[in-house]
Amino acid sequence: MRHPTDGTLRRLLDEPEGVADADREHVAGCPVCRSGLAGVQDDAAFAGAALRFEDAPDTDEGWRRLSAAVEAGESPPAGARSPRWRTTLGRPVVAVAAAVALLTGATAAAATDWLQIFRTEQIAPVTIRQADLLKIPDLSGYGEVRFTEQARIRQVADAAAARAASGLSVPEVARLPRGVSGDPEFHVGNRVSAEFTFSAEKAAKTAAATGQTLPPPPAGLDGSRFRLTAGPGVAAVWTQGRGMPALIVGRAVSPTAYSSGVPFATARDYLLSMSGLPEDVAAQLRTFTGDGRTLPVHVMAEELTSRPADVNGVPATVLTSRDEVLAAVVWVRDGVVTAVAGPLSGDEVLTVARGLRWER
Amino acid sequence: MVTPAGPGAVRADLEQVFRTAYPRVVAVAARVLGSRDEAEDVAQEVFLTFCRSSVPAGESAGWLSVAAAHTALNHLRSGRRRASREEAAGEPRNALSPDVADTVVAIEERRRVRAALARLPRKQAIALVLRHSGLSYTEVAAALDLSPGSVGTTVRRAESALRKELNRHASSH
Repeated sequence: MRHPTDGTLRRLLDEPEGVADADREHVAGCPVCRSGLAGVQDDAAFAGAALRFEDAPDTDEGWRRLSAAVEAGESPPAGARSPRWRTTLGRPVVAVAAAVALLTGATAAAATDWLQIFRTEQIAPVTIRQADLLKIPDLSGYGEVRFTEQARIRQVADAAAARAASGLSVPEVARLPRGVSGDPEFHVGNRVSAEFTFSAEKAAKTAAATGQTLPPPPAGLDGSRFRLTAGPGVAAVWTQGRGMPALIVGRAVSPTAYSSGVPFATARDYLLSMSGLPEDVAAQLRTFTGDGRTLPVHVMAEELTSRPADVNGVPATVLTSRDEVLAAVVWVRDGVVTAVAGPLSGDEVLTVARGLRWER
Repeated sequence: MVTPAGPGAVRADLEQVFRTAYPRVVAVAARVLGSRDEAEDVAQEVFLTFCRSSVPAGESAGWLSVAAAHTALNHLRSGRRRASREEAAGEPRNALSPDVADTVVAIEERRRVRAALARLPRKQAIALVLRHSGLSYTEVAAALDLSPGSVGTTVRRAESALRKELNRHASSH
């Protein structure tokens, strides 16, 4: 196998549990990597010593100084940096917008001025009747949606090229399911992102058009901007020359939302209140919005069923079509969504998922 | 921009957040600036911004660390350090503990560390300082809009570049 990158060796020093087992095992048995690791460790220790600071400040004195400045109405000087901080948007809207971003995709936003709201770490299915899906609002009715990075999906030569293009490794399938053979094609997609600016005026018009009166927006929501990103992503696709994929193993950096504005709970509750979702579904959504780390998968009850499962200890969701023609298993780890899907049974996709070899 | 809590309103949890987070905020800035006094100035600026913000309390520690790193680097790069602070960097109470100082960096070298940090790409410098301030890979990733997987690469590049910069200057002296 290929040697893990320097970045992987660096993380091995700090957070070994964040490094794939295959990489850990490789390093343990590889003289080249062990030597590399020693160099990485040496530089890390050098930097640690150069940046060391142990002199505790006087908190009481600091507080007196700040209190006096606040009292005097002082403003921070121009050099003070105010990071745009995270606050989470109503999850249904995040899910919809992330999906929209995935499908459509637009000028690079000032990424460094934004901080992350959340990165999805779990997936929870929400069952919604197909008719209800139509009631989820198009965000353009509530403000301006601008795509800042467009989706570009392309085929690349092999797993190494896919990894180089996306930054994501593609696991090997230990044993292909019955009826699937040969080598996969590799596809990569860049990161897509969209910016959404809430407009109270637009929202009021949208509400009026459906005969509703818009509740007054919470302070600060009008004009608040939200940025949603998804990807990059990579997929290995076995087509068997039949056009339709026989098996797909895909990975993508989880949809992530950033905000410049209002607190999460405020925006969430307000947006939920006008989402058009039936109250029971809205309530269900509210229950898992607490930590902002759950990606809801909207399951169309007429077509798909879902059940919880685990992939080597990581919680996962198995989605199966009612006619049992298609199945997928989806899970999230370290901010990356992985999915195994195909015209297979739920058990078959789970077997593939559990047997993936995370070599690089 | 962070949304103001209201016109002129100072957040109610300011003192509680301040007392919990102040030492860490000073430490983040001091890693960049090599001076406690100057780091305390940066911390004051950061808390002045924070006090009228609506950053959720649970996220304040991360926000403050990131703001401290950015603001301290702004100080380095804009050359806004005051002459008195230059002197302060050399005062004994700002020095590293003797055992470390003896083996790695003397006070004069703190100045070179600052210069080296100022020459690093912004993202690398921030990742390096936040990581060495104890933020997890996930937190650094969130602060810099990176995937957790690429934080290791960024930190590694920063450490390698920092060492090269310092060694280059050490050998030229």
